[in-house]
Amino acid sequence: MPKETMRRTAADNEYLHKDFHGSLSGGIEYLDTHFGEAAVKEYLRDFTLAYYKPVMDDMKQRGLAALRDHFERLYAVEKSPVDVRLDGEVLTVRVAKCPAVTHMREHGYPVARLFVETTRTVNETLCDGSPYKAELLEYDGETGRSVQRFSRRRS
Amino acid sequence: MISCTEFIPAYSELFKFLEKKGGREAVLDFWNYLSDTFLGNLKDLVREHGIRGCWLYWTHTLNEEAADFTMELDEEAQEFRIVMHNCPSKGRLLELGRMKPYHDYCGHCDVLYRRVLEPMGYSYEFDGSGVDKARCAIVIRRVRK
Repeated sequence: MPKETMRRTAADNEYLHKDFHGSLSGGIEYLDTHFGEAAVKEYLRDFTLAYYKPVMDDMKQRGLAALRDHFERLYAVEKSPVDVRLDGEVLTVRVAKCPAVTHMREHGYPVARLFVETTRTVNETLCDGSPYKAELLEYDGETGRSVQRFSRRRS
Repeated sequence: MISCTEFIPAYSELFKFLEKKGGREAVLDFWNYLSDTFLGNLKDLVREHGIRGCWLYWTHTLNEEAADFTMELDEEAQEFRIVMHNCPSKGRLLELGRMKPYHDYCGHCDVLYRRVLEPMGYSYEFDGSGVDKARCAIVIRRVRK
């Protein structure tokens, strides 16, 4: 049998490995089982503060328009439809089917009990230090369908 | 939602978080858990196709990860090899100036796959000497029928 060789460069493929959603779910489940719910939220909060710092900085300059752009980018990368509406001081994000949950359900990956926190805790943390608050108005654990709202806090 | 394209920084931060909470032992335990829970597809492919199963598994993952790699399969010698010229995961972490990667980020690649393959009769060599430049190499050989 001849030797087979495959050579690829980064430019040969698009970077979109949706199985990573399953690995993140595994991480959430492991943390929940071994360290509890508070640890899951603490981890996601730490991650958000570090990774999404540019988004949070942008929010300080442009308010909810920065978040609108963030969510439009996020779902465009996943090639998943999303309805993002900015109406004055209220931003509403309607997700008919979460691409992460959909991929995991379709490929048999377990969806962590607290996977919802990758939306709720991340959104709440994005609003840290801003005049805005995040609310998860609706969430369906089976599909990840959700309604997320960001609005000005009452002073 | 955290996009799958943002997973690698989330993964690296998770390793750091676990080490802070439970020491290195917690990180290793998590890697073993991931291997046992999420690498069933690698195990199934190798069980069905032998060493070619490695080729099939990494063809899927490395192409979706847009890696810069050379992969070789020599079924006569029962050997499979990956030379990673630029790992998309470690490369992204190194480029992401605002977050420092977990100090042994690439260690998971040594633990996860070894745990699946060695009990199936394969040796697993991981050369991580180039990980600071997002380079590594893996050689898998059939050692037992």
